[in-house]
Amino acid sequence: MKKILEIIWIVLIALTLFAYLLGYLKYIDSALVSILLLTTFIKGALVSDHFMGLKSVDSKYRVVPIIWLSIVLSLIAIAYYL
Amino acid sequence: MSDIVTTKEKYPAGDFGVWIIIYIELVTFAMLFVGYAFSRRADVELFNQSQLMLNQTSGFINTIILITSSYFVAKAVQAVKSMDETNYKEFNKKASKWLIFALICGATFLLVKITEFSHIFGEGINLSTNKFFMFYLLLTGFHFMHVMLGSIILFNIFMRTRKFGYTPEDTRGIESGASYWHMVDLLWIVLFPLIYIIR
Repeated sequence: MKKILEIIWIVLIALTLFAYLLGYLKYIDSALVSILLLTTFIKGALVSDHFMGLKSVDSKYRVVPIIWLSIVLSLIAIAYYL
Repeated sequence: MSDIVTTKEKYPAGDFGVWIIIYIELVTFAMLFVGYAFSRRADVELFNQSQLMLNQTSGFINTIILITSSYFVAKAVQAVKSMDETNYKEFNKKASKWLIFALICGATFLLVKITEFSHIFGEGINLSTNKFFMFYLLLTGFHFMHVMLGSIILFNIFMRTRKFGYTPEDTRGIESGASYWHMVDLLWIVLFPLIYIIR
């Protein structure tokens, strides 16, 4: 797909706007924090896969940022919910 | 049924050294992110009250700026990787155009952040004010330095594209610098909701 970078950029902007609106409207409850962390994971994965180009690289390099995001965001969730 | 064979590269783009740096930076920031999250858990009220002093809009603007700059850098790399021996000058020119936009974004990010810092320092806040501001200043200050370094790297890459310095056989420099810049973006993508939004 030729316009893949443009599509990724639009998705990243849309997810950022979603996060900002949650914060701006002070509409953050515990359930929404999970969604916010999930969208953060998606944004990070899109950056590493498409902007860093790791999608087209051997899986052992591709999974490093994904594992990093999973661990960091899971620990943030644990700290928030426990 | 058509057979679609996708071949994957053995190694990520850029120098091996830059990936070592990227992994080290990711681990360092991960410790600070998790440290912030668990410290917040110990005193939620203090963190929520202190967070109200931050300007979420400037955090949002900076997120948009960094994501957009990453897009421009990815376009510059795409341009350089599409060239061949006959058109490498034209594609260096294309890459330099994208890099100018990325550099403008980098400078704007720094400007917005300096404005935010001057407001915070103007309120008499420093590292010792409380735990929230200690983490806020450490995380955003450390990240600020990475954006500065990334901007210097991008500027050097930009200068090389102006001299048609990248050829089909030699694109490692721009790929390394781009990977570093995307890492700076990736870190901010986690930092923004953690510090500015979650309460």
